[in-house]
Amino acid sequence: MEEKNYFEGLFCGIKSLCTGLKITMREFFTKKITQQYPENRKELQMFDRFRGALVMPHNEANEHKCIGCGLCQMACPNGSIKVTSEFYETEDGKKKKRLVKYEYDLGCCMFCMLCTRACPQDAIEFDQSFENAVFDRSKLIQVLNKEGSKVAEK
Amino acid sequence: MFDFKIVTEWLHGALTGIMPEWAAILTESVLVALAVITLYAVFAIILIYMERKVCAFFQCRLGPNRVGKWGLLQVFCDVFKMLTKEIINLRNTDMFLHNLAPFLVVTASMVTFACLPWNRGAQMIDFNVGLFFILAASSVGVVGILLAGWSSNNKYSLIGAMRSGAQIISYELSIGMTMLTMICLTGTMSIQGIVEQQYAEGWNIFRGHIPAVIAFLIYLIAGNAECNRGPFDLPECESELTAGYHTEYSGMHFGYYYLAEYLNLFICAGIATLVFLGGWAPLHIAGLDGFNNVMDFIPGAVWFIGKTFFVVFLLMWMRWTFPRLRIDQILALEWKYLVPISMLNLVLMALLVAFGLHF
Amino acid sequence: METTETKTQVQAAAPATPKPAAVKPAPKPAAPTAPAENEVKPIEVEPSALRKEMERLKAEDMDFLECLTGVDWMEEGLGCIYTLTSTSTGKVVHVKTATLDRENPLLPSVSDLWAVANIYEREVFDFYGIRFTGHPDMRRVFLREDWVGYPFRKDDETEKNNPLRMTNEPLADDTEELVLNADGTVTSKRNTIFADGDYVVNIGPQHPSTHGVLHFRVALEGETIKKIDPILGYIHRGIEKIDESLTYPQTLALTDRMDYLGAMQNRHALCMCIEKALGVEVSDRVKVIRTMMDELQRIDSHILFFSCLAQDLGATTAFLYGFRDREKILDIFEETCGGRLILNYNTIGGVMHDLHPNFVPRVKELIPYLRNSLKELHALFTGNVIFQNRAKGVGVLTKEQAISYGCTGGTGRAAGWHNDLRKTRPYAAYDRVKFNEVVREGGDSFDRYMIRMDEILESLSILEQLVDNIPEGSIQEKMKPIIKVPEGTYYSAVEGSRGIFGVMLISKGDKSPYRLHYRSTGLPLVAAMDTLCSGSMLADLITIGGTVDYIVPDVDR
Repeated sequence: MEEKNYFEGLFCGIKSLCTGLKITMREFFTKKITQQYPENRKELQMFDRFRGALVMPHNEANEHKCIGCGLCQMACPNGSIKVTSEFYETEDGKKKKRLVKYEYDLGCCMFCMLCTRACPQDAIEFDQSFENAVFDRSKLIQVLNKEGSKVAEK
Repeated sequence: MFDFKIVTEWLHGALTGIMPEWAAILTESVLVALAVITLYAVFAIILIYMERKVCAFFQCRLGPNRVGKWGLLQVFCDVFKMLTKEIINLRNTDMFLHNLAPFLVVTASMVTFACLPWNRGAQMIDFNVGLFFILAASSVGVVGILLAGWSSNNKYSLIGAMRSGAQIISYELSIGMTMLTMICLTGTMSIQGIVEQQYAEGWNIFRGHIPAVIAFLIYLIAGNAECNRGPFDLPECESELTAGYHTEYSGMHFGYYYLAEYLNLFICAGIATLVFLGGWAPLHIAGLDGFNNVMDFIPGAVWFIGKTFFVVFLLMWMRWTFPRLRIDQILALEWKYLVPISMLNLVLMALLVAFGLHF
Repeated sequence: METTETKTQVQAAAPATPKPAAVKPAPKPAAPTAPAENEVKPIEVEPSALRKEMERLKAEDMDFLECLTGVDWMEEGLGCIYTLTSTSTGKVVHVKTATLDRENPLLPSVSDLWAVANIYEREVFDFYGIRFTGHPDMRRVFLREDWVGYPFRKDDETEKNNPLRMTNEPLADDTEELVLNADGTVTSKRNTIFADGDYVVNIGPQHPSTHGVLHFRVALEGETIKKIDPILGYIHRGIEKIDESLTYPQTLALTDRMDYLGAMQNRHALCMCIEKALGVEVSDRVKVIRTMMDELQRIDSHILFFSCLAQDLGATTAFLYGFRDREKILDIFEETCGGRLILNYNTIGGVMHDLHPNFVPRVKELIPYLRNSLKELHALFTGNVIFQNRAKGVGVLTKEQAISYGCTGGTGRAAGWHNDLRKTRPYAAYDRVKFNEVVREGGDSFDRYMIRMDEILESLSILEQLVDNIPEGSIQEKMKPIIKVPEGTYYSAVEGSRGIFGVMLISKGDKSPYRLHYRSTGLPLVAAMDTLCSGSMLADLITIGGTVDYIVPDVDR
């Protein structure tokens, strides 16, 4: 530092340090912004569009909208969806396809929403759950269609 | 004012009544040592808790609040955890020095800790070169740090230790200089003597006014640097050297460094209190006798600890506000600013005392 | 379809000329007859003539090597596409070269003409096995040194040759240089990276201040840095390779995971590239939404930059203040996009969701809030004498070096290089907003820092201008269920949070890209670290690394 700037530099420096100290002291007394997580569980509401996990909504009669077409499975970049479907014969003799098992691996889902966008029936969507931790990786593989459910008639 | 000598003399009398003199002194020494170690641990815990809470409040957070009410038990849990952790010995380290280093650091800070004047009569070590002894004892710690860095056989540790050596030795200089300034004012190096004088005549920071305030500020900066605390925490600055000289330590060996760091903070603040803020001497305002009498009712230990914690808070405030300096800047600050200023300050104080301009 | 065989001097139209804001009829099917505006028609050069041609172009003021894409054309050979830009005229030229020799492919190096070519050519060597004669340091850059084969070649048997290795990665202290002799023969010579007596300290791969898993080998002389050798690839995921087997909508999902603080802009670049290649014009509304999102992302990134720099320099409190403010932006993102870091918002032909009703009020709230808190951050940190001493004059990058190293974004602008794509090649809605390109002259760490802090204000002003003028319109053009980009080579670039983010797309008309290369914003910055840091102190490495602001997942891809 230049000789003539010695004292100027010293006092400017001290002043800048004091400005900083003033700000931290003001912050010391302002209200804190921490959210206390498990306590605020009741009020904690995720945004509607938050992507927690893939779900298949069922109505009261245990009916879902999935027709087992497998478009979501094709759209998935990670192969985290496995749709098993079967053909069956209706009473009037037509061959129709129905969903047997809809497996979804939360562990390798990228939440890219390609599956929900690909779905022609709006049968799957993302929910707002966020407490997805489990102790065993195999628990992340979920079957989304409920036991005994069937496709809703239009 | 309550004189702690009543207690010590009663104890001494009681002990000599049932055992010979040498045994009584031995017993007393053991008791005092136990008291020091207990106080040391208690203050470490209080300081760590305080640091966390204060730092959190500066950073618009809440700090620990899960274990116990307001997180009061958090530090106990941490200490317990540290005690149970394995001490890992690495290959290719100098095992003897590696294990010795933390003890040197912790011993140095314990010895200095024992010098602090807690109350009138409550003083473990007091002799006529007390301040000098404090300065000498506190600088033993740097040997521990250098040894730790060298014996770890780790490049980060080595760089950290070298930085620490350069830094601490430099800052010793301005600490010594400020102490000299104050000794110039007090005329004694005895710790109790300094405090008694301040009790009678007022705190040194008021007595010595301008040079004393300058010396106080320089002492705070240099003391902070001596403790290796931010903004002078280069020896262990995590963003460059991960943890500096104690990178390779684990378990309670690391714990000793951790304890010593906080206690050094306390000691640094304690010396500031002792030399500038009157030690255990209560606040007296000349002319207000009623007020002074009320102040005298508050025990000296409360005054001492309160003032020390106030200085600790100042140091924490500094730490949590500023970014870290670079090693050449730290040395430049010392040699280009602090040393010349404290030299001038010493001259100023000498003139002040010579012409009797102090209060 | 037009082929790229003729030696024409046609340059890419799209990046050079700003697109008028006039709205075309919105849903327009892909028109295969007209060439897409971002289609690239490279000059084709034989490898033997490449060196001369590049020297000519360099002499013609094409001083910025924007992008270097290695490609395996199979029957046309292995080769590269060089994207050259003139910083004075803005002209863009693409040069293509290929060699048919698959056993021992050799190309002349241009690393002495453009410094950034050094690391780009290493990348091409790593992925395609093309060796560059005259390159001083022909080592792998992302993959392990004991990797077998060249994974981006279409015929490479990567998994067969490379089982999971349980040994530590060997790191060589010397490197190979191929020297092309006058008689056409090639000889190999060894160059030393670190000599035996060097005191080498590893900063990283696990280190608090490398902003991810980056590894610098640093040779020290006391506290002074002699040399830095960056070791990359610890989080190389081969996104470009994965993309070659994904459909176009699927490739989008990975862009957010490169530069996670430029997720919006990355995805914007890829969407824009595909849309232009398809000839799809997005609605005005989408353009404005994308612009606003890009700017929010930029603010987000710059605040994080501030925080991390403060943290690296030991000012932990400033770090948390930055994070407190960034939270507001993340809330805006989360409400509209459903994500905070992985935003997943742009789609081919539009955006995923319409703006949330709360978006406009929240942005309006954010603008004054941030302006206020910026003042606080400045008072706390910028003015601080310790920070000023640590940043001023540290890590100076001159304008020439910045251009040669391709250090775009704030790092380049701090050195006085006007490189803001939002000004030079406006895209989306940037041609209808007023803002200043923040440029400073010093090129040191403090200038790099101030550029970013000032850019926050400019971004806020862009947001302010747009927030009340979001046009109505569709948010998603009708796309075919399976998107196939017509055959050709396309290049689009956007101004990312930390520089030019380019997308080079080579399509053979399939539903997946034949080759998708991202011009990483961070790779040139890391490449410049050695020049920036040499002669500085160890602590300056942290300041410099913090202020050039690289993001490792973006460097490694």
